[in-house]
Amino acid sequence: MMLLEHHAKELLAQAGVAVPAGVLVTQAGAAAFQFPCMAKAQVPVGGRGKAGGIVRINDQAEAQPTIARILGLTIRNHPVRACRLEALVESAAEAYFSLAFDADSGSIRILIAAEGGVDIESPAMRAKLLQVSAAPAVAPAQAALETLLPSLPLALRGPMSEVAARLIPLFFATEAVLIEINPLFILADGGWIAGDAKILTDDNALPRQPALRALIEHYPELYPEAALKLAQGFDFVQLDPQGDIGLVTTGAGLSMQLVDEIIARGHRPFNFCDIRTGGFKGDPSRLIQVLKWVASGPNVRAILMNFFAGNTNLAELVPLILLALKAVPALRQPITLRMTGNGLDAARHILASAGNPIHVETDLERALDRVLTDAKESPHG
Amino acid sequence: MADAFLAPDIAVLVQGATGRSGRSQTAQMVAYGTNIVAGVSRRDDPEAVIPLFKTCAEAVRATGATASVVFVPPLDVLAAIEEAIGAGIKLIVTVAEGMPVHDALKAKAAAREAGIRWVGASTPGLAIPGKMKMGFLPDVSLAPGGLGVMSKSGTLSYEVCYRLVERGFGQTLWVGVGGDAVKGTRFADLVPFFAADPATTGIVIVGEIGGSEEEELADALIAARCGKPVFALLAGRSALEGVTMGHAGALMSAHTGTIGTKTAALRQAGAEVAPSIKALVEAVSRRLAPG
Repeated sequence: MMLLEHHAKELLAQAGVAVPAGVLVTQAGAAAFQFPCMAKAQVPVGGRGKAGGIVRINDQAEAQPTIARILGLTIRNHPVRACRLEALVESAAEAYFSLAFDADSGSIRILIAAEGGVDIESPAMRAKLLQVSAAPAVAPAQAALETLLPSLPLALRGPMSEVAARLIPLFFATEAVLIEINPLFILADGGWIAGDAKILTDDNALPRQPALRALIEHYPELYPEAALKLAQGFDFVQLDPQGDIGLVTTGAGLSMQLVDEIIARGHRPFNFCDIRTGGFKGDPSRLIQVLKWVASGPNVRAILMNFFAGNTNLAELVPLILLALKAVPALRQPITLRMTGNGLDAARHILASAGNPIHVETDLERALDRVLTDAKESPHG
Repeated sequence: MADAFLAPDIAVLVQGATGRSGRSQTAQMVAYGTNIVAGVSRRDDPEAVIPLFKTCAEAVRATGATASVVFVPPLDVLAAIEEAIGAGIKLIVTVAEGMPVHDALKAKAAAREAGIRWVGASTPGLAIPGKMKMGFLPDVSLAPGGLGVMSKSGTLSYEVCYRLVERGFGQTLWVGVGGDAVKGTRFADLVPFFAADPATTGIVIVGEIGGSEEEELADALIAARCGKPVFALLAGRSALEGVTMGHAGALMSAHTGTIGTKTAALRQAGAEVAPSIKALVEAVSRRLAPG
């Protein structure tokens, strides 16, 4: 999970890394903060500045309308649900620091540069990066960092060493996947302060990371996907509020592929979903929940359910689908159920006994064709 | 991989053999023909279909097992791998989803140090169709044939192979490498085997957004001068940046490849990158004879 900048900075501050003072604002009411300040949209993606999500607020009068405008933005498909008001940093030199995994070698990689504040993917910046790999533990990482310091300008060596001494232990303690400080402001007096912070944490480690778990539980509206996964054990991501196709599908890879193919054919999936039939355990509530969400899409005109029963049994799944359909009467859009695999004949029989309330296909291409045709012709949505 | 540790009759033990899924999957692996020689569990199970032992070391001593398939919960996977390595196991397949990345790093280091192969985590496993399987690749998608298959996604590869089997294309070996970011075996690690294996006439890759495995694979294909037709399907073109789309490894963020860079790299290596499942199946049908 990508932490929002505000929460990443709170984590940094707890680890002794200096950050500008800041508060999180989720409504455009009266903001108690010193002005001038910066207002920064809290979304888990880059490009916020270009999208108008990072703005200077000069005085109290500007605050309310500026915050309201930022909270109305959608940046790279992420609606802005929160804004960080942050103290200005005196003009300073900018540097770069990051810690990440090298998934191929299984080592950790430290990247630093005497410049920062720009896209590190740019060729000019790449040429300036100093990097070193180390075995994934605190002591080897700190030793590796020391080997880079002599290549830095003298004034940067102290600050970079101090930053690393705090971030390397934090990386392992929080089981992070990435910690990036860009820019790291280097002040004229040798002090330093983290201008921006990107921390990617490992959802799989949440069972033994109580502080991160508490963060998600405290802000479910800011981390909706992680909160859902944590509370209910499956994935649902709203992709396009105006989408015309609702998806009730299982399997991350196949569900992503369906999203791609539907978009390639000129339609807009409302959601991504990996419902994980293995977690149903005879209970339709997960199906009911997903059907309710999909039905809530104002422009959803057709729904595709896809279940490839490699290891599950369709004869056990179909009764749950029937229960879920009954439980969501608001659902009026046409549904196509593509199912194949174990228990197909018995599942068909169960559906027939219930009066075949939904259309069934065994071939995925035919099911897709049907759903996209329904979306064009359906009166709903 | 081209060496002894993946023979069709390899002696396999099951760690976590008495859990709900370990139990039912063990029965299915045995039914498929896998040479399952032992189960390892702290618990007893009077109905077990295989001899049970309390530790891997005891199981290995009694049965000579050299491979293990692990059905323990995600936070216990690292300890299970360490135990298997300690007992002398050479091939470990861990199927659990949700293994923490920092555990995977430790497991990777341990596997490398011991010189053994770890496949996983978060994978349906591997299979030599018609002979054996470790894990739960579905029988309906398996058939003996000429394709070497490597996949990140379980479900997408089930669908792809199911449709290829319908068209008469089975597999020599299918390895699910798993959807996690840090994993034991990566696409590129398998290229030398598939390039050298005379029975493999074509290679199918089921990849996805995130990480750089597809780019490494392209380099490995070029280095191996493989010469065999390679077909790839890459899911996640429209994945939302900054959000986990089901697979931990599929989180899009800076510093990872896009579908564009992956496609370009694979095409450069001579692979055919299909825009859809249907197109992939048609490409295979066009260029290879069924079997």
